[in-house]
Amino acid sequence: MGKVTIDDIAIEVPDGTNLMEAARKAGVEIPHFCYHPGLSVVAQCRMCLVDITGIPKVQPACNSFAKDGMIVNTQNEKVKEAQRAVMEFLLINHPLDCPICDQAGECKLQDNSFGYGQGGSRYTISKRQYPGFDRTAIGPHVVADMTRCIQCTRCIRFCQEISETGELSFQERGGRTLVWTHEGRPLDNEMSACAADVCPVGALTVKEFRFRARVWYLEKANSICAGCDVGCNVTVESKDKIAYRFLPRQNFSVNDHWMCDYGRFLVEDFNRRDVKAPRRRATRDGDPAGSFETISFDAAIDAAAASLLAAKESKKRIVIVAPASLPTEALWLAKKLAVEALGSAEIVTFIPKGEKPHRVKNQKTWAEGIEGVPNGAGARLLGLAESTNLLPEKGGNPEVVLVVDGDLASLSQDPNLVKNLRKARTLIVLARLDSQLTAAADLVFPLAPHTESEGTFVNGRRRLQRFDRAFLPLDGNRPAWELLSRIGRLFGEGFSFVTAAAVFEAMSAAVPSLGGITFPSIGSEGISLEPKTAGAAPDPKPAPEEKKN
Amino acid sequence: MAKFEPILTAQISDPRQKSIDTYLKKGGYEGLKKALSLNPDEVTAQVKASGLRGRGGAGFPCGVKWGFVPKNTGNPIYLLCNADESEPGTFKDRLIIENDPHQIIEGIAIASYALGVRTAYIYIRGEMYLGAKVLNAAIAECYQKGILGPRVHGSEFALDLHVHRGAGAYICGEETALIESLEGKRGQPRIKPPFPAIKGVFGCPTVVNNVETLACLPHIFTRGVDWFTSIGVPKGTGPKLYCISGHVNRPGVYELPMGVNLKELIDEHAGGMKGGKLKAVIPGGASAPVLTADEIDVALDFDSLAARGTMLGSAAVIVMNDTTCMVNTTVNLLKFFAHESCGQCTPCREGTPWSYRLLSRIEEGGGSLADLDLLLGIARNMSNGMTICVFGDAAAAPIQSFIKKFRTEFEEHIAGRTCHGLVEPSPSPNHSALPGSMPAAISVRS
Repeated sequence: MGKVTIDDIAIEVPDGTNLMEAARKAGVEIPHFCYHPGLSVVAQCRMCLVDITGIPKVQPACNSFAKDGMIVNTQNEKVKEAQRAVMEFLLINHPLDCPICDQAGECKLQDNSFGYGQGGSRYTISKRQYPGFDRTAIGPHVVADMTRCIQCTRCIRFCQEISETGELSFQERGGRTLVWTHEGRPLDNEMSACAADVCPVGALTVKEFRFRARVWYLEKANSICAGCDVGCNVTVESKDKIAYRFLPRQNFSVNDHWMCDYGRFLVEDFNRRDVKAPRRRATRDGDPAGSFETISFDAAIDAAAASLLAAKESKKRIVIVAPASLPTEALWLAKKLAVEALGSAEIVTFIPKGEKPHRVKNQKTWAEGIEGVPNGAGARLLGLAESTNLLPEKGGNPEVVLVVDGDLASLSQDPNLVKNLRKARTLIVLARLDSQLTAAADLVFPLAPHTESEGTFVNGRRRLQRFDRAFLPLDGNRPAWELLSRIGRLFGEGFSFVTAAAVFEAMSAAVPSLGGITFPSIGSEGISLEPKTAGAAPDPKPAPEEKKN
Repeated sequence: MAKFEPILTAQISDPRQKSIDTYLKKGGYEGLKKALSLNPDEVTAQVKASGLRGRGGAGFPCGVKWGFVPKNTGNPIYLLCNADESEPGTFKDRLIIENDPHQIIEGIAIASYALGVRTAYIYIRGEMYLGAKVLNAAIAECYQKGILGPRVHGSEFALDLHVHRGAGAYICGEETALIESLEGKRGQPRIKPPFPAIKGVFGCPTVVNNVETLACLPHIFTRGVDWFTSIGVPKGTGPKLYCISGHVNRPGVYELPMGVNLKELIDEHAGGMKGGKLKAVIPGGASAPVLTADEIDVALDFDSLAARGTMLGSAAVIVMNDTTCMVNTTVNLLKFFAHESCGQCTPCREGTPWSYRLLSRIEEGGGSLADLDLLLGIARNMSNGMTICVFGDAAAAPIQSFIKKFRTEFEEHIAGRTCHGLVEPSPSPNHSALPGSMPAAISVRS
């Protein structure tokens, strides 16, 4: 450890800490472009130049290392002059097209220009153009515009060091330097959109998000990707109850700064809403389709409770299917409903393998997602029985089957599973999307996706992770925990929950392996549920906060 | 001082010198034999004592550089011979490479022995095809004679030597860019620290020495340290190759003691001025600040030129007479730097083309006086620590020195739209005439 003074703020950091991180610790902002905590240091943009006492020339903070007694100044005239110079150089060839640039609002060049540049420009010559290298899709998800590029090489380093695919490289040199793909090899890897995330300017943008919303209008909420059991930490950005994008959210225990394209582009799916109100099959048996009627919530709850109560009283078979795509709270409530309210109902969970394994880089290794649902570990933690065909032959056809999440495609679009479930006299489904399952159901409740409520998932490495609500559920749709509570309430005490957090607290008190954890204490980075053994590696140190860029 | 006798270039006019037999007959590889009879530390000590300074441009003491290399790291140590001679006006290394290659190989062997190097590389500029051919032939001969390979000169010391051709980038003469290029990457300088001595090529300790530096080594061991230090000036010992080009009667490479007077070099060795009076001299390649005619009474060694605010660099002396337009010269230099910037650091990538375009505009008569201050501002903003390597400083130096020393010529271009590159030598080089009073001559440039 050594004492370093940055702008008169003395801090203790380990010797060899790079000054960028040391400054962050001291609460001093050093402007930068090419530096990214997840990538190697190249010191090319020269924006982070600082004055270190005893060294005559300005030094890049990203490639200078803390030594005991070091005195660093990031704001004196020498540094400001260097910052103004670099900003001037960066802007001479950068188009003044912020009004039509989709990066505006989250652009490091805008921010640093405002903070460290000068009002005017001494550049009076025509700006550089890159005919043929502007507004071009260089891969399935990324659009490149070289006129805006500041040659920081973040995207190049991402493709070399993180995705390990190396699609991008510098071409040409000097003032003609540009970043592009190689002939016949587009920017197409499992995390390709992250290359646009790390781009500090509008040179690389994500095709699916371009021009859909100005970023300053977007509201951000911490969330967890539900694509697989890696459980990448993400930020949901939304406006007017429309989710516009997922961005990876830094968590060094899960996904560093990255996420895969598959998970990222699931966001569009969350805006789909086929089931907007409760519906009941008007005519039973023999009428294959088109005979649903929309009913009120209260009527639907009553109808569901009536079927369940009748089955319970006549001691007929009831099966609750709670797939591991559900948050832990809903899984626990489903179990509680089965065991406490309905007495002896069966509860099974469904944990499908992913169609193809998804993976993300974490601490220089690949974190692989095996299961196609985010909460398999949560279901196991609650002791739910796994089932692949959902209705075992033994026991006869059930009277009532309640499917708590009918949106899991591997369940609701599998004709055999649907056929199995349809053996019930009454099939109740909670769903947001139309599927073979909803078509077969007798009663359908409009389900809200996990992004529209709070809750928790437990990922494949048994890390309990919390997600926040991006926005209130769309009219009519309700989160699973709320629907289950409302049904449960008709059967007795113990279901009067008004928030998902309250469900979690009750679950935490009831489930030994969650003992003591409160909902707020999970925090934004989650808690590992693995028993702490002496030899186990500790959680990585709290990492520096890095925004989208 | 006794009459100086050329050493490095003594044999270059002998066409048979390229062959190892001739080289051996003339006492070649004796220096290596002598070095091998010492222990490596003694070899380094002798090189330190000789005061040999790097001939590539920076003039860093060679023995001291070797001393930075950590021993026993478990990693191999590499020696790279920098033969990427590409500083405009420089053609000294090429002369030795093409005509006396064994001198270099012997120097490499001595340095490798001192440093504990097992594998060395010669990184040769891509355009020097003949040089690469000659070196490869010479290396093949050395392997045949047992001078390279598992038992160098019958000793326990083993050395392999490879020639690697560059692909034509000036920046690859910068040692860390050379290392990147040798590794097969894009030729662009690395950030320091770590320095090559600690982490160079393939992540291992590396020494990069210039061709001429290495060529001096055999002679230090055959003739002795005292002989070497008796030549030149106290802080600049040994013989030095000077490349003189431009408006002189006999341009070429001259081997002279370090610290020869610039005036003497031009007037006595290079046969004096050609076609006009002396106007300006660039003493050390494109990146060295220019000297005016009044400033040429100066010794050509690292420290004397540094005291004059310029540098010896690669000792590429470019002489210009008074038919030369200084604006045009600056444009020419900046065109080179704008073309050769690797493009990784912002100030240099953006600053060099900007300066070039501003200077072209001035030359074409479209400039303004404010452009001069702007140019100086750009030059300041891309030098002095603003960039990873010193390329930014190198590009800034001509802008700053030419505008400082020949400002009136720039102003005349701006105001009078005239050019000083006249056919007739101007009767009086009085540059203080007011803009507008100049004859509206049509310029014809040299």
